Amino acid sequence: MKRLVGGIIIVLLLVAFTGFSLADWKGTITIWDAPRWPDENDDKFHWIKGKIAEFEELNPGVKIELIETPWAELGDKLSIAIAGRAWPDLVPVDISGAINKGHLDQGVVEPLDDFFTAEELADFVPGALAAYSYNDKLWGIPTSMSVHVMLLNLDHFEAAGVEPPKDGKWTWDEFVETAKALTREGNYGFTTYILKGYYEAWPFFYMDGGRPIVDGKFAFDSPEAISAIQKLVDLKFVHGAAPIEMGSADVGGAFQALAREGQRHVAMGPWNSWAIATVSTEGVNYLPNVMVAEYPVGDSGKPVTIGGAGGWVIMKQPNKEKLAKVVEFAKFLSTAEEQYKFARFYGTFPSRFSTMEMDPFADQPLMKRAMEMLEFAEAVPDHPNWAQIDERIQAELQLIFAGEKTVEQGMQDAARAVERLLR
Amino acid sequence: MKRIRASRLGLLLMYAVLTIWAVISLIPLYWVFTTAFQQPNEVQIMPPKFIPTVVSRYLPLRLTGQKEAAQALVDGALESFRLLFQRTDMVRWFMNSALIAVSATAGVLFLDSMAAFSFAKKQFPGREFIFWLMISTMMIPGQVLLVPMFMVVRNLGIVNTPWAILLPQLSMVFGVFLLRQFMSTIPSELIEAARIDGAGEFGIYWRVMLPLAKPGLATLGILTFSASWNSFLWPLIAVQKSEWFTLPVGLKTLQDQNLVNYGLLMSGAAVAAVPMIIVFLSFQKYFIRGLTLGGVKG
Amino acid sequence: MLKQIWRGRSGYLFILPKFALFIVFVFIPILWSFLVSFQEYRVFDTVWVGLDNFRDAFSDDIFWMAVQNTLRYAVVVMPSTVIIALILASLINPLRRSAQTFFRAAFYLPTVASTVVLSMVWRWIFQTRFGLANYFLASLGLEPINWLHSSEWAMRSVITMAVLTPPGMGVILYLAAMSSIPDSLYEAATIDGANRLVQWWRITLPLLKPTTLYLMIVSTIGSFQVFDQVMLMTQGGPGYATTTIVHRIYQTAFRDFQFGYAGAMSMLLFFAIIVLALIQSRLVTSDVEYKG
Repeated sequence: MKRLVGGIIIVLLLVAFTGFSLADWKGTITIWDAPRWPDENDDKFHWIKGKIAEFEELNPGVKIELIETPWAELGDKLSIAIAGRAWPDLVPVDISGAINKGHLDQGVVEPLDDFFTAEELADFVPGALAAYSYNDKLWGIPTSMSVHVMLLNLDHFEAAGVEPPKDGKWTWDEFVETAKALTREGNYGFTTYILKGYYEAWPFFYMDGGRPIVDGKFAFDSPEAISAIQKLVDLKFVHGAAPIEMGSADVGGAFQALAREGQRHVAMGPWNSWAIATVSTEGVNYLPNVMVAEYPVGDSGKPVTIGGAGGWVIMKQPNKEKLAKVVEFAKFLSTAEEQYKFARFYGTFPSRFSTMEMDPFADQPLMKRAMEMLEFAEAVPDHPNWAQIDERIQAELQLIFAGEKTVEQGMQDAARAVERLLR
Repeated sequence: MKRIRASRLGLLLMYAVLTIWAVISLIPLYWVFTTAFQQPNEVQIMPPKFIPTVVSRYLPLRLTGQKEAAQALVDGALESFRLLFQRTDMVRWFMNSALIAVSATAGVLFLDSMAAFSFAKKQFPGREFIFWLMISTMMIPGQVLLVPMFMVVRNLGIVNTPWAILLPQLSMVFGVFLLRQFMSTIPSELIEAARIDGAGEFGIYWRVMLPLAKPGLATLGILTFSASWNSFLWPLIAVQKSEWFTLPVGLKTLQDQNLVNYGLLMSGAAVAAVPMIIVFLSFQKYFIRGLTLGGVKG
Repeated sequence: MLKQIWRGRSGYLFILPKFALFIVFVFIPILWSFLVSFQEYRVFDTVWVGLDNFRDAFSDDIFWMAVQNTLRYAVVVMPSTVIIALILASLINPLRRSAQTFFRAAFYLPTVASTVVLSMVWRWIFQTRFGLANYFLASLGLEPINWLHSSEWAMRSVITMAVLTPPGMGVILYLAAMSSIPDSLYEAATIDGANRLVQWWRITLPLLKPTTLYLMIVSTIGSFQVFDQVMLMTQGGPGYATTTIVHRIYQTAFRDFQFGYAGAMSMLLFFAIIVLALIQSRLVTSDVEYKG
């Protein structure tokens, strides 16, 4: 009897599993990806190729087609594919990004709430989920996070006899004094840049509690925002602790000024955490003596910073069985183990607590310190017109930092333009 | 006597102006090539090294017997080329680009010269209208046509094939305009003479018009080849599978997300420039002056 | 009429292959863009909005800034491209064959590198701290200029790049056209005692009219559609100081997903260029034919 029951259970289980997999969807899934870290042959697509091979092995009858795309044109190419009504099934979001609200608005992205249990979601960092949530729905799987940090070249500190901030914590006044002390012999204390889509400078503007949008209204013209912007402007024009090109759009120039061998004439700069890996690897941008610090604390009393989350977005699927398979593949790419690889080799922070427990940065103190700052990281505002709002604000910021407008004037002009976009 | 001396001075002046101008013009291209051969730690350095270290230091090192140091310089200069040639599919991208650019050039020369001949020398109702209809489409910025062109190639089922790149390039109209302007100056009597000699319409086009239009065809050939060879955004959109990547698309997928690798970029640009230079030089011989109309009487 | 069409049949046959390709790959896409400019294009539920997109363009302050910037660029670059090409070609043409070959290459080859690469190089040249331009100013004892990052200089820098990049296409085109002018015309003029300059003015220049018209129209199109350089050198900034019409169109279409609005701006640009081209073709009547 026992045997019989056992046999029946086994048969049932077999039927359940094989039957399930027989009814399983078969066909081709198209995935886009862009270069990640290289293998020994300098192939920057080796990770995704390996995962595709594994998944195809596990799922006979499913073929996955990889479309290799450069990061810089990924967004434009996707817009064209969507407008041409021929989108791929699975697309990546870069690490400093968030989901594209414009694409959501077109109804071409699949919500994923039905595919995740509360238990599964509990493993994700809330900030990462927030970056992929909109209108109370989840629109993608965050797999990697980034945060803006201050990078300090301690060689300059030693040369100038300046003490770096203790444990990377400081107030705005301490920061100004440090920057001034570091400004000597053709070197400057600090530089950064202003460009649409980039937020390295923005935590400074958040410092006194100001935010671009509060309660659906433009608020960068509030006293706390204006005072903070003014402080950073003064660093250049009043204190002379930043070069004249501070606040221009020259991203590459700002990085060179900090890290490029033979060009290092700026001691401190805020960068996305990808730069930590760059300055700690052998090469022309290798800074042997570097430190990660928090943004200085202003009137709000907190070292606020800005973070982003990379991940995967699943595009609209007419076939529900295929959708299930695409989600399965996306989950397959986002496990704790995969995130561990990203953390180790790609220089991103995991979006899962279970990966964090694996302690991926045991031997990388800089990354470990930066990861602590995720606690104070905010995402950029999630308004459907954010790209246009951002462009308006950054345009005015550029003029302010070029010395062509006062902070009040620039933010008043921004307010007028942004009010229309907020409606 | 006086006049000759004046013109000699004038000639000297002309050479001087042209030479200075040419040197200024060549600085960016020179920069591309020297950057490609700089040592990795000297790429993008400011102020730039106008002569790559491998050029300035190799011989002195060799002559003083420092063979290894000299070899290290060569290795450094060729590092990004080594990466390109040994570790990427660059040869395939190069062949794809070559196939498409050569086909586009041949096709454009043939199609455009036929159309231009007709617009320049034939009479038919609607000639001006059709011509200006075609030309006016050049005035729409190509960027807005990316989406509808993508829809067209998708509906034709040629996405992911080289046809998706080639056919739109064959459809560009600037060559028709260029050649019509060029052919319109060729004396119509030549056509009449050939017609009296019993030549057919295609014979006139092939035996009379094409030889006379050689400088114009050479110009268009060079321009079409360069345009096709350098085109990036459309090939990126129309051909998504890496087996049909063109050179500019392939080179771009080598770049990291955050920091541009200038050495790699400039080495790629230098490799990409070579075929265009060859094409230019080989079309040069068709610019010979005064050859074409020697035997014609007005 | 039918008779005329029948008599012109070989004319139609000669343009047929090109025309067929043109219809499929150029005309149909343009028709789509035209229709879309009256729509709010959406993936699933496109709506017709009449002239709203055009109305939006007229009330969009960035569009008007873009129009002004584009005009500033075009007013300098369009004529300078043609004039510089004409000057260079005229200086090269009388030279010996080997010198001609050399200079033709020297002025064409700088344009073989893609705009992407050239813009990159120019960005280095204009870099504030270490750039070649400021290095040059410093050696003359002048103050450095914040080339790409001040509203005053950014557009001038973009224009400088355009003017200093030799018009390679124009030079070889003019040279090709000059090489087709029969020597007999100059010989006759020499016998009449006309000097070089007079010959150039009376013979060369009029016979180059078709090429000049072509170059004028092509460089009008090129300078009104300036985009790549701006995108790569300044991204339209600082502020909106170098935002051009096509830059705006591109952002609107691919970043903001407003294809209807982008289409409407394109149509406005299209009509502006058409009007200019018509004026140019009136000014430079190109019906010349060499009499050998």
